[in-house]
Amino acid sequence: MNALTRFLRRLEGPQTLGRGPLFWAGFLVTLAAACAYPLFSDGYTVGNTVYFFTWIFMALGLCLIWGYGGSLSFGQTAFFGIAGYSYGILTINFGAAYGFTFVALLFAVAVAALFAALLGYFLFFGRISGVFLGIVTLSVTLVLERFMAQTAGPEWRIGSARLNGFNGMSNMPPLTLPWPGGDIVLFPDVELYYVVLAMLVVVYLGLRILVNSPFGNVLVAIRENPERAEMLGYDIRKYQLGTFVIGAALAGLSGVLYTSWGQYITPSSMGMTAAALPIVWVAVGGRSDLTTTLIGTVTVLAVFQALTIHGSQYALVVMGVMLVLTVLLAPSGLILALAKLVARPFTKRANNNLPGDA
Amino acid sequence: MDVGTLAFSALYQFGDAFAFLVLSACGLAVIFGMMGVINLAHGEFIMCGAYVTVSAAHAGLPLPLAIVLGALVAGMVGALVEIVVVRHLYDRPLDTIVATWGLSLIGTQGTLILLGSTMAGVGTPFGSFQVGAYSYSLYRLVLFVMAIVVLAGLYALFNWTRFGVMARATIQVPHMAAALGVDTRRVYSLTFALGAGLAGLAGGLYAPTMTLVPTMGTTFIMEAFVTVVVGGADVFLGTAPAAALLAVVKATMTSWYGQLFGQIGLLVAVIVVIRVLPRGISGFLLRERA
Amino acid sequence: MTGKTMRGLRAAALSGTLLLGAAHSLTPALAADPIKLGVLEDQSGDFAAATIGKVHAIQLAADEINKAGGIDGRPLELVIYDTQSDNTRYQEFMRRVLQRDKVDAVFAGFSSASREAYRPIVNQFDGLAFYNNQYEGGVCDANMIVTGAVPEQQFSTLIPWMMEKYGKKVYTLAADYNFGQISAEWVRNIVKEHGGEMVGEDFIPLGVSQFSQNIQNIQKAKPDFVVTLLVGTAQASYYEQAAAASVNLPMASSVNVGQGYEHKRFKPPSLKDMYVTTNYIEEIDSPASKAFFAKFKAMFPDEPYVNQEAENSYLAVYLYKQMVERAKSTKREDLRKEIAKGDVCMDAPEGKVCLDPKSQHMSHTIYLAKVGEDHSISFPKVWQDIKPYWLGEAGCDLTKSDPSAQYTPSNPPPKP
Repeated sequence: MNALTRFLRRLEGPQTLGRGPLFWAGFLVTLAAACAYPLFSDGYTVGNTVYFFTWIFMALGLCLIWGYGGSLSFGQTAFFGIAGYSYGILTINFGAAYGFTFVALLFAVAVAALFAALLGYFLFFGRISGVFLGIVTLSVTLVLERFMAQTAGPEWRIGSARLNGFNGMSNMPPLTLPWPGGDIVLFPDVELYYVVLAMLVVVYLGLRILVNSPFGNVLVAIRENPERAEMLGYDIRKYQLGTFVIGAALAGLSGVLYTSWGQYITPSSMGMTAAALPIVWVAVGGRSDLTTTLIGTVTVLAVFQALTIHGSQYALVVMGVMLVLTVLLAPSGLILALAKLVARPFTKRANNNLPGDA
Repeated sequence: MDVGTLAFSALYQFGDAFAFLVLSACGLAVIFGMMGVINLAHGEFIMCGAYVTVSAAHAGLPLPLAIVLGALVAGMVGALVEIVVVRHLYDRPLDTIVATWGLSLIGTQGTLILLGSTMAGVGTPFGSFQVGAYSYSLYRLVLFVMAIVVLAGLYALFNWTRFGVMARATIQVPHMAAALGVDTRRVYSLTFALGAGLAGLAGGLYAPTMTLVPTMGTTFIMEAFVTVVVGGADVFLGTAPAAALLAVVKATMTSWYGQLFGQIGLLVAVIVVIRVLPRGISGFLLRERA
Repeated sequence: MTGKTMRGLRAAALSGTLLLGAAHSLTPALAADPIKLGVLEDQSGDFAAATIGKVHAIQLAADEINKAGGIDGRPLELVIYDTQSDNTRYQEFMRRVLQRDKVDAVFAGFSSASREAYRPIVNQFDGLAFYNNQYEGGVCDANMIVTGAVPEQQFSTLIPWMMEKYGKKVYTLAADYNFGQISAEWVRNIVKEHGGEMVGEDFIPLGVSQFSQNIQNIQKAKPDFVVTLLVGTAQASYYEQAAAASVNLPMASSVNVGQGYEHKRFKPPSLKDMYVTTNYIEEIDSPASKAFFAKFKAMFPDEPYVNQEAENSYLAVYLYKQMVERAKSTKREDLRKEIAKGDVCMDAPEGKVCLDPKSQHMSHTIYLAKVGEDHSISFPKVWQDIKPYWLGEAGCDLTKSDPSAQYTPSNPPPKP
């Protein structure tokens, strides 16, 4: 019991924003609101919210690698794509019966993680860092994109799953819950919403525990000063590799959920624009904290979509202006800047620096 | 087919790939290689140069002057961008990714709205010449010569001029340069403008040979980043050998296996070179000095 | 519901600007329950050049129909979203138009990837989508109606004609993805059938803009003509570069000129001796075409070019009107009963077109457009009523079953 409480105590700590009863009360209220929300909404809005949620895992993974670990990966979409295609290949070949889609989900995420382990070994044990790491990971995702784009021919098939080139792979079954009295097919609607929400809560809390554990502390030490961390006796390569694999697995989870959501995955999901997007979400939200990343990602996705719906051809211009302004005016991220703005009247005197504001 | 024809054709393909890599990359090499700013709007500076060049040529300016004008305008836009945006981000280089990505969205879509989805081209000058069974575009040789001229010019600029010495000093140890009386802010602005101007020059030079659309810059981006990363931080010692190496890889792969493998070959070359030389070719060449 | 919803699109006095924004008032005669059409097209991003005209064509048709009393007295209402040349936007907005806006039919998609991205969603909600674009063919899906031309229509006419005129040695330069690969397969098969020889094939990844090596390969192979199946604005740079290197070979294409109006954008004579089979371009000299072009320019004076996809989109609206009026319903199954009769035909700007009940693809008048030295267009040959025969013959019969799949000549429907 003692071990468990110690474990749970790590839900808050120096590496995460938000602590104390007030924060957790807020968390529970938000969670309750998120649970109750489909009751007051329509199928489209709920399905669309799930769509936003599917991307958050990738953003959280990047937040861990970049925000906490200090290594910029520009190629998270590589893992996203690998897991998405793996899910498609597995479920098209073996179907959706007996809850196999969830087995496929695990396998697909594992494949992405394995690939990340190989790539990460190559990178971190080769002492590649900084912008070079970014460009190499970007190259990897672009290689995958170009390769997959030309797999249109009938010779490119794995079992009965055709890779189908640039047009993309489609018609894989969505995630399906085995249920007494008939499987529940999780189309983007209320059922899928609850499943993804549950995953999100687990991943979010899990990551909070991780970054407040000794592992997380070392990670932040590496971000602040890799040489110092190494002098203190930590093999920083192992920590970086571990982080990279976890981040890649989360990108893979996003890939599977996205593929299941739209029953479709394409090489463009690994292209240049797709690869830049996670960086934008994380940077705008505030990359140094999990909570700001989570809120920031949903905000950016929702605002960009709303702009596209209502802003006609000026949408992309407005998005660009917003990104530039955010970077200039809110160096530690939009969410943190807003939070400070709101909190200012309450903390007039005490100039308490929020943790994680590195 | 005789040996001379084959040799010339291989050389021509190499020179063509080399010119494209050097010209796409040199602007980025100055901004990214020297200043550490990851400029995702690099392609938009190229597009800017190309659009200005073509508009000026349509208005009656001779093509060489139009190209110079394109480079100048791109350089001025670059200076403006540096003052308004990039200047505030030198202490957090990774944030420039987001800012310059935003700028590139504004640049591409703004051009689409203001100038329409395409622009009429000007046609490639100089015609063609024949070697053996093949005919070649003469303008492509001009591009190769221009790539050499640009490299030589950059070498001269950074080694033999006052600005070059100050720029190198500023970039190596900024506070020391400032202490010695260098106006580092101005040096950064000029360097960024130089990089943008070189991108504009690349756009102007390639404008007669390409489709003019707001997204045209993206076709240069991958080659540019690949060359700069393989080259490392030094413009001359990095970009030139990197472009030569990658041009061999690209031209060989393309002629043997087709364009797809030319592209994939480039990307794999980056991964391998960075694994072996984590600081790029110039990092390797300069390691004694470091 | 502000934003893009346009009620009965008022007369387009508003010059050529995009009519996005303000909702327009209904004229009293059209006060009946509107029929909603979703329009998902790329108005920004890579494909914008070829697709903005499709949106305008749909607006033009809707405007004409509403002025003439709507469809069976019901006005047409357009729900337009900009998909930004981005597959994920198609997924988001296809769900939105079907689930939230509850449109009766959707007109959507330029690239084949975008169509494949939204097709599972159309199937899931059992909607009806019009794909008004020429493409690589093979979509056998009861939820889809395709008004664009397909390879058998464009190549079975073009390739034999070219071989007869210029010779039997053919070189193909194609974009390295589904459209280019499948089209190249069609060219290969037709060349072989007619006793010709493929002297070379080169595939180019999307986004590549430098062609020196390919130009040399072509010169080495010495073909009688080159089939160019290049896609996207970057790849169009080939023409300028080939002309600069004096390749001087006749070219044949199913995709250029008719879609990206390269003959208007490049300086002559880089597209000299280019032959294209298309079902519409603005230069077509028939009275119907001239009338359509004049109406288009009156409403959108700044339109750079009226291409085949614009005409496909325009006729698709009228085709939909006809089906709804005949079926007295907007339900997909009722409309398909009309299609099954095999006589859903109309006089479009290009000439007479009919919908094939088996594949729900369209028969077309195919024009052979020749680009002259000064980039003027002439039409050496016109084929009437070319049917999209392949899919039906290969075994796709939507009147009997709905596999919702895409087939290719090397991956045909399973034999029953």
